[in-house]
Amino acid sequence: MAALSTTGRPGHPDRRRGWLHLFWLATVYGIPAILIVLPLLTFLMFGFWSVEEGRILRDFSFDNYFAFAGNESYTRVFTGTLFLALRVMIINVLLGFAVAYFLSRLEGRLKYALVLGLIVPLLMSYIIKIYAIRGILGTSGLLNKLLIFLGILSQPSDLFLFNLTAVLITLSLALLPFTILPIFIALEKIPANYLEASADLGATPWQTFRRVTLPMALPGTVVGGMFCFVLAVGDFLAPELVGGTRGFTYGRLVFSQFGMAFNWPFGAALSVILLIVSLGVIVAAGRLGSPKWLRQ
Amino acid sequence: MNALRLGQHAAMAALAIVTAMVFVALYAPIFLVALLSFFRLRRGEIQWDSFSLQWYGKLFSNEGLGQALANSLIVGFASVLMALVLATLLAFYVNARPGLRTTILQFVIFLPFLLPPIITGLSLLVFFSEWGVSRGLFTVSIGHTLFVLALAYRTILTRLQGLSRNLMEASQDLGATRWQTFRYILLPNLKLAVVTAGLLAFALSFDETMITLFLIGDTNTLPIRLFAMMRAGFTPEVNALVTLILVFSILLTLVIARYVGRGAIGGRFRL
Repeated sequence: MAALSTTGRPGHPDRRRGWLHLFWLATVYGIPAILIVLPLLTFLMFGFWSVEEGRILRDFSFDNYFAFAGNESYTRVFTGTLFLALRVMIINVLLGFAVAYFLSRLEGRLKYALVLGLIVPLLMSYIIKIYAIRGILGTSGLLNKLLIFLGILSQPSDLFLFNLTAVLITLSLALLPFTILPIFIALEKIPANYLEASADLGATPWQTFRRVTLPMALPGTVVGGMFCFVLAVGDFLAPELVGGTRGFTYGRLVFSQFGMAFNWPFGAALSVILLIVSLGVIVAAGRLGSPKWLRQ
Repeated sequence: MNALRLGQHAAMAALAIVTAMVFVALYAPIFLVALLSFFRLRRGEIQWDSFSLQWYGKLFSNEGLGQALANSLIVGFASVLMALVLATLLAFYVNARPGLRTTILQFVIFLPFLLPPIITGLSLLVFFSEWGVSRGLFTVSIGHTLFVLALAYRTILTRLQGLSRNLMEASQDLGATRWQTFRYILLPNLKLAVVTAGLLAFALSFDETMITLFLIGDTNTLPIRLFAMMRAGFTPEVNALVTLILVFSILLTLVIARYVGRGAIGGRFRL
């Protein structure tokens, strides 16, 4: 049971490096390697193959990537989806920061209840959320009724269902708890005496917010934004359920290659592009989220 | 100075309004669904005199729903069990040997959680089909295990790192063997974290749709069955099913929140 020591003490080499230890190492490295890395690599390979008469042709080529880059309708869906995810992210970071900041200023029971009220939708089934939101978007839905009641619209509009606006609203709402919570946690971790020190040194509340709170909440905000962007850019359930034919997104394009179009290699190539975008955002968020001055 | 106070109050009031609106937007659609599982809708108006439980009754005769629920539970328990064992082993390993290798290992196990589910699902689909593994509950369980692994791992690791090293050393100084230290010191201290991780993992698995969709083959879990029903449209029967699942989700969340604890929400709760 040498493996179970919690501290690898230098100068005290583990005494029993037996079978158990080997088994442990094999599990710890083997399972992620086989079930996470290997599938991703297989996937990468698939993107270089092609399909002919329903059979997969294992010849290495960049044809799938050229086919993507050369077809304007594909690239337009791609850039459109990137912008969509970007807009969802911006909306959610702004809204999320406002809500998280407000919650972090509260105290006691009310705060606990409201935070719990955010965790409930976080753990709620994603398709149920989409389904419920779809229910309020139609011409006779709650949103139209509200806008007419407020006098913003004079008659019901069909602008909110079966197009990209519907996808935007649905994704923003469904992903909002994912954005709020990391920001809230970051705000909660700011020591109260930092804020007091800032005030004691003569800073106005705005200066304290601008110079202390905002920089210290940055990592959580970046993480919240990242969650939101990555989940939005790859999603196909929301566009599938509320997008209609006009709300076509990249996720749906990928999905269709594995369904109707039945072109796995092309689908794999499209996903590799999505993978690169997502990894780029995750790594960038990791960098931005832990700036040098915070790491020390 | 008074103007400053006033400005502060105005800002907080504005934030309160935004927060209230966000909460309404988050909950109104869900309440509407629950409402429409009891009342009929005619020309966009709720008929308040049409209360009935018939749609809940209809669910019991819905073919395949019971099977889908059973499948969801099987997948949930299997993946929670696998994820907890793996997460515990990983947490101990990473905690014992910090360094570049474990940093990379951590990055890899976070991938299925961080990447869009469509990529995790599709890469496993391609992988399994290359190796001739036929799709079914087994492949779905593997997919869910990987998906929930990161959160389970993180929860256990955080607790492990929080345990003071003195505790371990005291135990060993007092003559306990490594096994005894593990059995009587580490395990009891980790129990809460493992239970929390298990509940969180189950909640995630129970609702997972996107990865499942690619790995399920021709059986169903509850969300997949629901997805098929939803494509047919907004029906009272779906509303009833959705309401039941929501009640279950909310109860599960409350249980998890109890475990994670009131104080933990401030500081220790981490994603």
